[in-house]
Amino acid sequence: MSSPDNQSSRRPPDPFELWRQIYETNERAWNTILERTVSNPAFAESSGKLLETFLSAQKTVRDNMRTYLEQVNLPTREDVSRLGELIVSLEEKVDQLDDRLSAIEAALRSQASAASADRPAATTSQPPERPTTSHARKQSSSRGTTP
Amino acid sequence: MTSADVDDRRALEMVHAVLSAREAPVGVTPRELVWHKNKARLYRYKRQTPPTHRTPVFLVLPLINRAYILDLRPGASFVEHLLQQGFDVFLLDWGVPGDEDRTLDLTTLLTRYLPRATRKASEAAGHVPLTVLGYCIGGTLAACYAALYPKSPVEVRNLVLFTTPIDFSDAGKFGALTKKGVFPVEQLTSTLPLVPGQMPDLGAKLLSPLPTTIGTYMRLWDRLGDNGFDLAGWQAMYRWVNEGVPFPSAAYRQWIVEFYQENRLVRGRLEIGGRVVRLGNIRCPLLNVAASTDEIAPRPTTRAIINQVSSTDAQEIVLQGGHVGIVVGRAAKNGLWPRVTEWLTHHD
Repeated sequence: MSSPDNQSSRRPPDPFELWRQIYETNERAWNTILERTVSNPAFAESSGKLLETFLSAQKTVRDNMRTYLEQVNLPTREDVSRLGELIVSLEEKVDQLDDRLSAIEAALRSQASAASADRPAATTSQPPERPTTSHARKQSSSRGTTP
Repeated sequence: MTSADVDDRRALEMVHAVLSAREAPVGVTPRELVWHKNKARLYRYKRQTPPTHRTPVFLVLPLINRAYILDLRPGASFVEHLLQQGFDVFLLDWGVPGDEDRTLDLTTLLTRYLPRATRKASEAAGHVPLTVLGYCIGGTLAACYAALYPKSPVEVRNLVLFTTPIDFSDAGKFGALTKKGVFPVEQLTSTLPLVPGQMPDLGAKLLSPLPTTIGTYMRLWDRLGDNGFDLAGWQAMYRWVNEGVPFPSAAYRQWIVEFYQENRLVRGRLEIGGRVVRLGNIRCPLLNVAASTDEIAPRPTTRAIINQVSSTDAQEIVLQGGHVGIVVGRAAKNGLWPRVTEWLTHHD
């Protein structure tokens, strides 16, 4: 019967370990070459051309798909995203209303705080202005009767 | 157990580590939703005790990455660190755009999203000024925002930028890849409603090809044999790196053309909503954090802000490391974060 050590010694050499050794020895050199290649203007130019080709193919696929979906009376991806855009723009309108409300609230708050700051001085120098209240009541009642 | 058995087991562990990384728990610090618009969400992180500082920190994240990078996981979270140091923390997560967001550009983000989000954050905190802290593209947006809206709707009390590109005249390899006449940005953005998240990621990987691809797995293999290896931390980071967010076409076009190709920001020619963005309008205290070996935002791109602003109090911290490494991870926990909170405390 063979020992575990004998079994492992019979095992074929680990290809991963071999690859690892090669990688570790050469990583710096390979990376330097790759970095130099990437930094070369020619690389940027050729990757740009490659991207252009991919985009042309992508555009053809998208156009064909759109034409097909229109023929079979199905909404295209653009149609669905257009709906989404409408919802987003509606949300923007709600936000604009919210902005205005916040501005009004802020103005009312500052008016109220200014009024409360003035009130002690007003109570010592002047009696409360009841006519103003009745005037306001009159205004509100007249508003109520207006057709 | 033989060494071959150990290797087999480690290989299985490695496969499991990579495949289960997408389920790694991230961004778990408790928070509440304060405001939302379209896909953007403004969160306020929950505190056990009232904040000990008056000025809340408002975090602006990059568009192309998941926002949980600043709240990666317990013990490795910048947000958690800020909370522990007594700050009230808000985070603006741009979310994941869909096809319907193809016309969403940086102008819209700067004029319709950020002003509202800062106002909501300030209101929630009791109508107070904010410290605006931006990371990467989020930093560029934060700088533009601070220049456009220094006092209103909310006073920007301090501006903090993490690895933020500002001057694109020498943008390194990424600048070369996106050069005018070479990079088909118009064709790209007119064909695709969204620029896939993999594309900026591929660009980042091309900056340092081997260590960011094969090297990742080689290092994992080595570390799996180490008893002290923090596998959960590795998985969280791996998940973040591979979970890119698509860029709305209009925003991408504006980013590449107006920032990278035409370098309008530092030239004083960037127009947002009919107004020119003048970095000189920034007068609040500024802390600029840069990484010495940053390939994504190289030093020439991050250096310029200090001379562009009118702040009398403008400080820069340059740390040894890369674009992400100085902001998250063990080095950040012991190096950057305490320095930032110390600065924030001093400027509260």
